[in-house]
Formats: sequence, structure tokens, C-alpha cells
Amino acid sequence: MLKKTLLPTILLILAYGFWVSPDFKEIAAGVSIFLFGMLFLEDGFKAFTGGVLEKLLQKTTDKTWKSLLFGVVSTSIMQSSSLVSVITISFISAGLVTLVAGIGIIFGANIGTTTGAWLVAAFGLKVKISAYAMPMLVFGIVLSFQKSKYLKGAGAVLAGLGFLFLGIHYMKEGFEAFKDSFDLASLAVAGYPGLFLFAAIGAAATVVMQSSHATLVLILTALAASQITYENGLALAIGANVGTTITAIIGSLSANVEGKRLAGAHLIFNVVTGVVAIAFIHQFVLAVDVVSNSVGIAADNYTMKLAVFHTLFNLAGVLLMVPLIHRMSEFLIKSLPEKAKDLAEPQYLSDAAIEFPETVLKALKKEVWHLFDSAFEIMAHGINLHRTEILTSPDLEKTIDDDREVHEFDMDELYESKVKVLYSAIVDFISNSQAHMSSDFSEEMYRLRRAAGEIVECVKHVKHLRKNTTKYMLSDNEHIREEYNNLRYQIAMILREIYRLRGEEEFDHAIAILEMDELKAEIQSAHTDLDVRVTGILRDDRITPIMATSLLNDFNYVDETSRNLLDTAQALLFSHSDLVAEAAQEVVLDEDEIEKASAA
Amino acid sequence: MKFSELVEKAEKLVGKHEQGRRIKPKKLGKLQQLLSDKKSRYEAKLAETDDPGKRHKLETRLRVVSAQLEKSKQLQAAD
Repeated sequence: MLKKTLLPTILLILAYGFWVSPDFKEIAAGVSIFLFGMLFLEDGFKAFTGGVLEKLLQKTTDKTWKSLLFGVVSTSIMQSSSLVSVITISFISAGLVTLVAGIGIIFGANIGTTTGAWLVAAFGLKVKISAYAMPMLVFGIVLSFQKSKYLKGAGAVLAGLGFLFLGIHYMKEGFEAFKDSFDLASLAVAGYPGLFLFAAIGAAATVVMQSSHATLVLILTALAASQITYENGLALAIGANVGTTITAIIGSLSANVEGKRLAGAHLIFNVVTGVVAIAFIHQFVLAVDVVSNSVGIAADNYTMKLAVFHTLFNLAGVLLMVPLIHRMSEFLIKSLPEKAKDLAEPQYLSDAAIEFPETVLKALKKEVWHLFDSAFEIMAHGINLHRTEILTSPDLEKTIDDDREVHEFDMDELYESKVKVLYSAIVDFISNSQAHMSSDFSEEMYRLRRAAGEIVECVKHVKHLRKNTTKYMLSDNEHIREEYNNLRYQIAMILREIYRLRGEEEFDHAIAILEMDELKAEIQSAHTDLDVRVTGILRDDRITPIMATSLLNDFNYVDETSRNLLDTAQALLFSHSDLVAEAAQEVVLDEDEIEKASAA
Repeated sequence: MKFSELVEKAEKLVGKHEQGRRIKPKKLGKLQQLLSDKKSRYEAKLAETDDPGKRHKLETRLRVVSAQLEKSKQLQAAD
């Protein structure tokens, strides 16, 4: 309901504002142009990602100080803490960075965002920025028409900056004229209630504009036009900091629980820092005066002093919160627990990551492994075994011979709820992200899609196999019982081996890929042995012809399942960035070569 | 397709081809070392066991590793 009425309400308020005041129109246009510039900037930076940013993140966030520094630098460059936090959420969702590292980045981003305050304070109001905006826009747009991806990106960055400057110019003009018709100072309330009120206004303005920079510009222009007092300006800046978390919260809506925890960390940091800043506002004002005096900022230069305040309170926040980073992480894990293993929900596919190819592939690979885990559970029950038995039994063959417990469950229902749903999500995610992929990445993506399809086929095969397996594993005829236990063993053994090889270190993935060929040859060899055995026991009347045909049919399902599982594992263990694994992929034997090697 | 696009595609293909030529021999060499070590391990295990079932499995695995080793050598020679 709220969602439906929010947009029309905002539009109506804006329309009313335009009708009542042409100055408001100018300010709103300035904000819009500013935000349009932000969009251009984001697009421009995205042109320079595509593997590089992702790799950089991994290497630069393995320690808290590194992740802090990363947050500072990346936000200073991109000039948007919101963009950095949304990207960080996407990485956390894909499991590329830990929650602690993610929190470090967010803390750093809060310091990085203060450079924006300095830029705005230094250039935004003193220089006739529209003079710079126009050439930037022209050069930017000319460049953005070029074919080269990087020239296009540079053009978008330049045009973005041009629009930012132009937006600032309009906001400034609007406020200059606006100050005679509307007085923000009339809202002023003395003491702490006033500070909280202006902090709330700052937060609300940032939520609406989706940019703390834009709010900061508004504050500075309002300050320069004497619309608000210095202290109100500080409270607005504190509120803007809190309001900026809304972008991260929106970004986390489509993320997994880790992403939500990070958005929670962002909110806690900004609220705690804001409350501390308001509580110690007089001490902060004093500190700002001391710093301003020592660097030669004039006592009445409130725009620069606001930038000093912005920097000081964010720094204080980081100093206060960094020692608590691990506790915060523990608190968030406790308060936002992972759902009790709901395997049907995709865990790694986040729309926030869709434009970063390396992240998309890693998320996708994890999701296909997740599908594999779901399928493993169903297949294990399908052959009347427990997952733990398969993974931990010291003598799997004996366990299977001894375990004659039938697992009662609806395999069709489990297939629909745990496999099909996940497979659909994977296929949907691939089709959405394909547009952002180069040929190198889409090849691996295709490989992963095929792997997911093969997993689904495996579950279907086990479904067909289940009826006879359940019937004959309980049979009094020890020969048919033994043969069906062999079939159960083959599937269980393959699943167990894949899990063992999956746990190998990164470098050994090459050997793991090739070891799948050995298992394929064992299956081939088992097929030949079975043909000989079945002919023998049928001839000796130890099993009926019906039993023999069932066995041979079911062996085909087992054969197909085993091969599909091994092909899937080979695809999942492959990585285009692991060159030895890439070489191993070329050495993998084809069907004829396997057949030849399996023949004694 | 415009000529410039054709040239761009051709350059990409040549780039990939050259990259492949540069990477493969070195990595194939590393892989061969890993496979040779594995082959030696299987041969040692085979010499230690008398169990016909285990021997049969080990012999199958040994043949696969030998075939992979052979294939990697052929790939290296082709480069």
C-alpha cells in the first residue's frame, strides 16, 4: 500500500512545490541534474570494471586495515559511499569478502566520503563552477559516443562530473533566491531537540535524493545563504550520514543474509556515530574551531568548517567502532541468523552482482554447488541412504549391505521444491547476466548452466531407479539384492569421491578434474563386469528374466547418473583463472579414450 | 559486418591463439609432472597388493593416468 502511494505522493508534492515557488523548481532541477550526474559517474566507473575491480577487492581486503583503506580510497575515487557499499554487499553475497572485511570497507567509505565534503566546500561554492561544467559536458558527451569501452567510460565520468557541477550551480542559484521567500531557520528549535530535528531532516533529504553529497551541497548552499545556523548545518550533516545507509539497505534487499548483515553494520555505524556526534556536539564544535584555526580557515568560513566537522566526526566514529568490529560481526550474525538450511532458496545469486563478470561466475559456481548439495540429499534418500553415511562411513560397501531401511518421502515433491526451483533461479540469473559477459566468461557460464542441467537429470534418473532399488534391496534373493546394492554403492561412491575432491586445495583442482576420468573408467569397467555377471546368474536361474531386465535397465540409469555427476564435477572444478586446471581440461579423455583405458 | 569490426574480431582471435601458445607448454609441463607422480604412486600400490579386486581397480586407474600423460605429451608436441 505504502509502496503504491509513495511515488504519486512525491510527484504531487513536487508539482505543488513547482507551482508555488519557481526557486524551489530551480533547486529541485539542480538536485535532479546532480543525481543524473551521479548516474553517469557510476556508469563511467563500471566501464573500468570487469574482473579488475573484483580481483583488487580480494587482494585488498584480507586485513581490517586494508579493507578500511580500500573503503577510503575507492570512495574518494568514486565519490559515492553508497555505490561502494552496494558493490561491497554484492561481493559479500557472492562470498568474495568476509563480513568483517565488508564492515571495514563500509567504515573506510565513511571516511572516504568526507573528501566529497572538501571538494564541495573548496570548489562548489567559491568558483563559478558552471564555467567548468559546460566544457566537461561537451567533452564527456563527445567521448561517450566513441566505440572504445574505455573512452566511453571516461566520457561518462567527465559528463557525470559536468552534470554534478551544473546541478550544484542550479541548487546554489535556487537557494540564493529562495532565502527571501522561505526560511529554514524558522524550523530551528533550541538545544538537543533542534539538533535531532535537523538531523532527521538531513536523513530524510538524503533518503529522497539517494546521495549524502547532494544533501551536503544543499547544507552548504543553505549555510552560505544564511538559511540555517552553523549548528543546524552540523546536525543536517549528521543526518545525511545516517540517511546514506538507505541505499545500502535497498541494495541488501536482494542480497543474501551476509549482505543484510553488512547493511545492518552500515546502519549501526552511522546511527551510533550520529548519536555520539550529537551528544558531544559542543566538543566537536570546539575541535572544529581548533583544527580550523591551525590550518588557517577563517572563523566565519562555515562551509570549510562543515567539511572539517564532517571529517572529524566520521574519523571519531571509525576510531570508536574499529575495536568493536569483531563484536559487531558476532552481534549481526546472532541477530540476523541464517535461515535453517532452506535449500530451495538461491543463496548466492544477487542481482547486485550482475554487472561484474568475475563475481557473477563465482556466485554462479557456488549456486551450482548448492544445487549439487540439494540434489545429493535427494539422491542419497532416493537410494535409501543417509547423506552422513555416504560421507563418513569407513566401509561404504558394508554400510550399504547392512542398511536396509527404506526412506519414506515424496521424491517428486522434493524435486519440485528443492531442485527445480533452484535450477530455474540459476537459468534465470544466467539469462539476465549474459548481456554483461564477454565471450570468455559466457563460455564458462554455458559450462555451468550445462552442469546444472546435468544435476537435474541425475535426480530424475535416481527417481526412476528408486522403485526397483527399494523393492530389490529388501528381496530375499541374495543375488538380486547384492546387484542392487552394487548400484547403490556406485552412486554413493561417486558422490563421496566428488565431495572428497571438492575439498582439495586450489592447485590440485587440475588433478581432481583428471581423477574424474579414472572414476569414469571404473564405471565402464563395472558395466562390462555386470553384463558378464547377469548373464551368469540368469543362466544358473539364480534370478528371473524380469529381474535381469530390470537390473540392466536400472544399470543404464546408474551409468548415466554417474557420468553426469562426474561431468558436472569436472565443470565445477574448472576455473578459467587456474591455468593448470585449464590445461587439465584439455587432457580430459573423451568417451572412446575412456573405453579403451577401461578395457583390461 | 564493418571492416573495422572484422579487424577487431581477427585481432581478438589472434590474441587468444598467441596467448594459448604461450601458456600451454608451461602448464602442460606442470601437469605432466603431477601425472607422473601419480602414476608412480599407483605403480607402487599395485606392487604392494595381492587382492584381485584392488589390483583390477588400480590397473584401470593406471591405464587412465598413462593415457592422460600420453595425451598431454601429444598436445605439447603439437604446439
